[in-house]
Amino acid sequence: MGGGPNKPELVINGKRTDGRDFNELRPIKIIASPLANANGSAYLEWGNNKVMCGVYGPKEANPRHLADATQAVIKCRYMMAPFSSLSEHGRTGPNRRATEISKVVKEVFENVVMTKEYPGSQIEVYIEILQGDGGTRVAGVAAAAIALATSGIPMKDLPYAVSVGRIGEHLAVDFNMIEDNYSDSDMPMAIAPRNNEILLLQMDGDMTKQQILEAVQMGIDAGPQIVEIQRKALKAAYEASTTK
Amino acid sequence: MVKANHIKSMVAAGEREDGRDLKTFRPIKVSVGMLKNAEGSAQVQIGNTTILAGVKLDIEEPMEDTPNQGNLIMSGELLPLASEKYETGPPSPSAIEFGRVVDRGIRHGNCIDLTSLFIEEGKVWTVFIDLYVINSDGNLFDAGTMAAMAALMNTKVPAVKDGLAVRTERTTPLKINNIVTSTTFAKIKDKLLLDPDGDEEMAADCRLTIATDEEKVRSMQKGLRGGIFKAEIEQMLDVSFNKHKELKDILTKAQV
Amino acid sequence: MRNIVLPGEIIAQVPQRIENSYIENGKTYSKIMGMYEPNTRGVIPLEGSWSPNNEDTVVGVITEQRNKVFIVDLMFFGRCLLIPGKFDEYVFTPGEIVEARIKEVENRKTIVLGDGKLLEGGRIIKVKPKKVLRVIGKKNTMIDQIKALTKTDIVVGLNGLIWLRGGDIDLAEEAIFKVEREAHTSGLTEIIKQYLENKTKRE
Repeated sequence: MGGGPNKPELVINGKRTDGRDFNELRPIKIIASPLANANGSAYLEWGNNKVMCGVYGPKEANPRHLADATQAVIKCRYMMAPFSSLSEHGRTGPNRRATEISKVVKEVFENVVMTKEYPGSQIEVYIEILQGDGGTRVAGVAAAAIALATSGIPMKDLPYAVSVGRIGEHLAVDFNMIEDNYSDSDMPMAIAPRNNEILLLQMDGDMTKQQILEAVQMGIDAGPQIVEIQRKALKAAYEASTTK
Repeated sequence: MVKANHIKSMVAAGEREDGRDLKTFRPIKVSVGMLKNAEGSAQVQIGNTTILAGVKLDIEEPMEDTPNQGNLIMSGELLPLASEKYETGPPSPSAIEFGRVVDRGIRHGNCIDLTSLFIEEGKVWTVFIDLYVINSDGNLFDAGTMAAMAALMNTKVPAVKDGLAVRTERTTPLKINNIVTSTTFAKIKDKLLLDPDGDEEMAADCRLTIATDEEKVRSMQKGLRGGIFKAEIEQMLDVSFNKHKELKDILTKAQV
Repeated sequence: MRNIVLPGEIIAQVPQRIENSYIENGKTYSKIMGMYEPNTRGVIPLEGSWSPNNEDTVVGVITEQRNKVFIVDLMFFGRCLLIPGKFDEYVFTPGEIVEARIKEVENRKTIVLGDGKLLEGGRIIKVKPKKVLRVIGKKNTMIDQIKALTKTDIVVGLNGLIWLRGGDIDLAEEAIFKVEREAHTSGLTEIIKQYLENKTKRE
């Protein structure tokens, strides 16, 4: 966050480093069901982020002693590929950051997936970041939501995710990597659009109480746009199969 | 299961098992300096949750992009002796989350003056803080933040001779720029409980930890599968700022 | 664009007990991605794992026998059992492939089978349960033509497992996977017919 002699200018003539306005999202492109083997899958591009998500299950819980007799257990693994970063090769294997992200993303889907319909089973969600450019966990949640929808696993809502942060006195949506690294504060969120219930919320940096509440509202306001993109992608993928 | 239901019905009536109200901490005890080999140490108890923090300083190379600053590395361990739920082996996602959340509040609060850790070109102090949970009864985040803060406030920097640390000579107190404290809430049904104990945490649908200094929020982390609403976040932010002075006073008094 | 609904989408402003939906605060929402027309049975899934129904024909592998009961792998997350004496007597060995019919589904997660029949020899392939109906075809037209043109014995399980034996088994398998891949194409029955006739002509 912030600081260092190499800190670039984040705001130039009222626009951001990539020319966006403060409430402008990067372009999002979604392909539903790209993988043949997984029960559900999605490929998503969000700005320069490239994410692949595959879902397996519901299947028998493994190991059995970790099964829950009343509902499905959700396992989530967020992982950044070793070639995903512009800087050095990333070592393979889980690191602490990825473990924490896997946990908070899992909690989003533990909320919306109707786990009671598959007692004793497990549902696996694999999120692979193939190329990262800021906001990878947000892109990961978006991809996983689509992948779960394509798997047919029932959910009470289709969550979306977005990050809002502070650059000087401005609040801006959807930080790219430079903004992630050099801004004053960042707050990724995942929200269930039905009732604007917040399912993932993390923040670091420094913001006043007012800024936080404003940022939460910006996240809620960005919802309809992102949800529309998700809906279009899913409907487009299945239009073909329903017109005969 | 039975216990969780009991807690839920009590909370519905606005009551807690230990008689507290919804916005009160359990008794907090802070002591410092009990570990002589560490450059700084503290123990914090919030109710029965007990966390020990130890600080060690090592001379290392600075990071490439911050050549004039020292580093802070924090990590947390849920010791198996702290609870029958904790096992030996690599850290669980909860243990990892605990360490990282406490780290973020302190790091983004700029609590340590990192430039004061500069020794000479190519040499800086790295401050290692390790949090040892020795008894777990809910709300590790707030106890952890206080333990880390108290240990840092207790830390003395070793002298340096010929580029090496002289650990028997601890003269300068570590320069602290800011004090950050945190408040953690459990949401049970639609009630928000400050400082949940172990049973309340098990019954909770959702959890939110907010780290603040006097004026700014430095970090937040929502946990568990339940959701929260914007209005609830506002309530919790208010309580967090309210409690900050009280917690900061406890930390300052403990150093005397 | 037809009426495709997504999880969490409102499908009725009043509470309605229809398939694949749930009611909250007096409104009805879809729980899956599917097709919905008002005043119908419910949301029709576009994808999804197999939902066992009584009298479904399934194909599975005997995995073990415990206390006389045979446990069958139907690639389903719950337990699937053939219980000797309950509906019939059975003698199977782990590893054998069987055809059976669903008799009871308990608590969504335990399936009791009956009419178990050994399927000797041959091999099993798996297709997505949602596509199985296309493999069978209306009034069995698709599967019957594959059987006829390849002369392969085929038993299709609604759980997505399909047993094949004899004839031009590799071609039958290819044809089935082709149906699965192109399930949404119109005129598929004719396309498969052409495909099989071309392949068998070359022999």
